[in-house]
Amino acid sequence: MGNLGLFIALGAIALVVLLLIGWTISTYNRLVRQRNQVRASWAQVDVQLVRRYDLIPNLVETVKGYAAHERSTLEAVVSARNTAMAAAGTPGGTADRAAAENVLTQALGRLFALAEAYPDLKANQNFAALQAELANTEDKISYSRQFYNSAVQTLTNSIQSFPSSLVAGLGKFEPPAYFEAAGGERGPVQVRF
Amino acid sequence: MDPRVLEIALVVGAVGLWAACYAALFLVTRPASPRPGPATQELGTESPAVASLLANRWAVTEDAVEATLLDLAARRHVELRQPAADPMQTTVHLRPEADQSGLTAYERRVLDRVGALAVGGVVPVTALTFRDDKQAKRWTKQVRVEIVAEARTKGLSQRRFGKTAVGLLVAAAGVVATVVAAAAIHYNQRVVEEDEAGLVIFAFFFTFIALSAIAGRYPGERDTLDGRVVAARWLGVRDWLRGHEEFADLPPAAATVWDRYLAYGAALGVTRVASSVLDLGMGSRRLVWSSYGGTWHRVRVRYPRFWPKYGRKAFDLITRALLSIGLGLVLVLYGTKPRQILSDAAPARWFDTFEPLARIAGIALLAYGGYKLLRAVIDLATERTITGEVLWVQVWRTARKDDDARPEPVLHYLAVDDGAGDRTTAWALPSELAFCNDGDTVTLRVRRWTRRVLTLKVDERSKRGDFTESTVDHESEDLVATTLGSTMRAVTGVLRAPDVSPATLLTAEEVGHALGMAVRMQDEVPVPGPFRMVTFHTVERNKQVLLLQLAGGRMGAWAWRSNSRGTPLPGIGDGAFANGDRATLRFGETTVVLTLLGKGKGHRQHLPWLLTQAAGRMSA
Repeated sequence: MGNLGLFIALGAIALVVLLLIGWTISTYNRLVRQRNQVRASWAQVDVQLVRRYDLIPNLVETVKGYAAHERSTLEAVVSARNTAMAAAGTPGGTADRAAAENVLTQALGRLFALAEAYPDLKANQNFAALQAELANTEDKISYSRQFYNSAVQTLTNSIQSFPSSLVAGLGKFEPPAYFEAAGGERGPVQVRF
Repeated sequence: MDPRVLEIALVVGAVGLWAACYAALFLVTRPASPRPGPATQELGTESPAVASLLANRWAVTEDAVEATLLDLAARRHVELRQPAADPMQTTVHLRPEADQSGLTAYERRVLDRVGALAVGGVVPVTALTFRDDKQAKRWTKQVRVEIVAEARTKGLSQRRFGKTAVGLLVAAAGVVATVVAAAAIHYNQRVVEEDEAGLVIFAFFFTFIALSAIAGRYPGERDTLDGRVVAARWLGVRDWLRGHEEFADLPPAAATVWDRYLAYGAALGVTRVASSVLDLGMGSRRLVWSSYGGTWHRVRVRYPRFWPKYGRKAFDLITRALLSIGLGLVLVLYGTKPRQILSDAAPARWFDTFEPLARIAGIALLAYGGYKLLRAVIDLATERTITGEVLWVQVWRTARKDDDARPEPVLHYLAVDDGAGDRTTAWALPSELAFCNDGDTVTLRVRRWTRRVLTLKVDERSKRGDFTESTVDHESEDLVATTLGSTMRAVTGVLRAPDVSPATLLTAEEVGHALGMAVRMQDEVPVPGPFRMVTFHTVERNKQVLLLQLAGGRMGAWAWRSNSRGTPLPGIGDGAFANGDRATLRFGETTVVLTLLGKGKGHRQHLPWLLTQAAGRMSA
């Protein structure tokens, strides 16, 4: 009888341990999956940001042809692009990267505002095509950012919620930074140049 | 071998072989399951409905319609607003200023449905369900056809059985029908003394038509080369969206923020909450939305099933009440009679038990009958008139007029919201008064206790009308017709039955006069497909003497082509020929074939006259 009680107790303990191990593995895998989703979402953001970098030189050259003396605005765009590209070397949606991208967005906004004063530039087909392409890219950036921030929120919730926070602590999971929009373009970004 | 076994084996073997071919074809043409492409957030140019078709292995599911509504919201044709935390409270707001010129047929159909249901431009999202099962099926079928048409136009989908496959199946059906006819001939030779051509012809055509109808049935859609590539891309989008766990919990109103992504998410089956809130299928009859009084509210409706009084006529109730009273009186007044009569035959203790029980039952019946009588009289005296919106109309009770007749509805449930509260009990509406539809404003004269409706007047017809009568433009309808119609038209053209009844073309007297014998017309045997026929039999021995066949549509043209030989008979219909014991007449799209059988074979000289009679009836 004594042995049977011991077996039952040992069996119960083994069962609890097994359940704990199973839950830990499952939670760890979920955290890994969520982290991978954050990385994949950031990759999508990155693709669109790089696309924007590629469009800018052509745009600057086109504007130069009509408004060469607007040097400061053009230089601001080029400078913001370089800064953003430099920040791009850092993986993940860091605050620095987000800030650099927001500066670039604002510089581009000023550049397009400038074009209003030059009817010939506005009438240029190449400029119009670049403007449309950039607007499209900005839209995609905003959606990519939404997906990224959604993935970050899911992972952050898992890392900070109990009891999954225990596994997150063991696995050294860190909540990633949000990719926040600039003050003027919070919410669903609809670029209207 | 036993000849019966041989005949059965022939028929079963031939039909079985055909069925096996059909099953093999069905298996071979099953839609592909493309491997998902890399997870991506890049959307394609296809609409959510078409994306849904591709992602669901070329089947249109309810996701397609829900996704279309979300897509319309994302494209600002409607607006979805959620005033509180519960997504079930979402409302759809019309945006009449939106340009509808670029909408597809099914998008317009969904928009029309929202517009038809909206009151003051608003409708709760959960009020979009149907209240009529047939209408729901018809509407869903139309949407499905339009989605499939668009997918086919883009080269992403094709009919599961192509024209060649259907043609082969029909040809095989012809072979099987010939084998079955051969078995019938064998049977004839073995069993019937006289040659019964009718059985052979019937066996052939019945088999051929039945199998052809199966072959021509719409078997669904399947993949194309382009379709597989696009489907793989959409499955990649699905994986991407599925990876975002919070996406599944987005409510319909999130379309404002997520734009078309939410619609595509619904189309690809990754939006748990939005999809559970949106339902454009059949609604519940127990919890129905009403806009009576100008505001949307839900009304809970009860449908009595076992109330003895429910829907009864006053006369029935009074008769039953009087019967109860009469029986009760008998039990009370004469409950001691059995003791007096049967005291010698049974022990006294039996009567000691029976008498109080009889008295109690009698009093109960008296009370019950009295109560019923009183209520029925009060009900008669207190008829009321109510006005409200029809929420639900549905057949409740059916009855047969005689044993052979089809059951016909005698009572309908009629749920009406008269604005008195958020709960109501359906009225019992005599079926002859059931000429209103849900959404109509009606005035009823009713008896409240029995819930029976005495009169019904429709004050205002619902502007909902029939959802299936959409404002889809002719261009879209043409697109659907040309995309889907080619094969279907071919099949329906072949299988279309003539509108004229063969029984109306010749009378028994006319045939008897022509053949010189007393004949009677056998009732038309309904057969599926393009043929209709009647036979004339001798009164004396009930033997067939004349077969009258009608064929319409494509099959009618074929029948004319194969029978327009022999001696031309000018001036009868659009053309006529006599050839031995057979004469053929063409009138419009219809071909009439007269075949003399048995004893009728000696009277071929009268066939032109019979054709003239038939042509005269057809022109009338």
